[in-house]
Amino acid sequence: MNTNEPGNHDEALGKLLKEWRTDAPLPLGFQEAVWRRIQRAQAPTALSVWDVIADWIGTVLPRPALAVAYVAILLTIGLTAGWTQARQETARVKGELGERYIRILDPYQPPRQ
Amino acid sequence: MKKGLFILLLGLALAAAVYGCVYFICTSSARNLEQSSQPELAWLKEEFNLSDSEFKRISELHAAYLPQCAEMCRQVEAQNQRLKALLAATNQMTPEIESAVAESARLRGVCQRNMLKHFYEVSRTMPPEQGRRYLAWVQERTFLTSEGMMRDK
Repeated sequence: MNTNEPGNHDEALGKLLKEWRTDAPLPLGFQEAVWRRIQRAQAPTALSVWDVIADWIGTVLPRPALAVAYVAILLTIGLTAGWTQARQETARVKGELGERYIRILDPYQPPRQ
Repeated sequence: MKKGLFILLLGLALAAAVYGCVYFICTSSARNLEQSSQPELAWLKEEFNLSDSEFKRISELHAAYLPQCAEMCRQVEAQNQRLKALLAATNQMTPEIESAVAESARLRGVCQRNMLKHFYEVSRTMPPEQGRRYLAWVQERTFLTSEGMMRDK
């Protein structure tokens, strides 16, 4: 008979545990401490913002529809920001050149601020 | 996670690239104006949709006007210095001050007359609609400015 089989091990261990007795007293508050640890382990852990973001990047963002939407939104933002900034810059340059044109022709123009 | 991070960074990189490209393309006209030999005239050409021949004629008028304008500037500056010296020398009205004030006003009149003449010539060189717009624009910024009229506000 092979005593190394898992079934035989469990049987032997079970027998040994049933026979085992100890007279050593438990430390004070041992049971409460054990229950506290069990409750702590079972309580849902609060996720940090970074955990949520990392989870979103890892699991939600790779979905094709969402990835396409995400890239499309960023492209739109880049396009709009570039166009708006360019328009402001162009208006500024043209306004300045118009002012310079007048300044060249009119000696009574106040000096540039 | 790796795939998600790649998509995240790809989106940001594409947005930055699109921003740069759009900005570069849309500011090219302003850059061209600034880099031209006469930016103010180049601006005038673009602002009032001038043809090459109209622009050439206006450039000639502009070049002819500038020496007159420079001479007027010199006279105005000399007169201002003279008036300043007279005002510093006394605390009452003198015939010299009266004469200097009158001369300053005369110079201003001459200057404005020359300037207006130039504006009319330039506006006549432009297509009628643009000419009207040009005249309204220059008059608004030279003759019709609100400077010196702050008490009325």
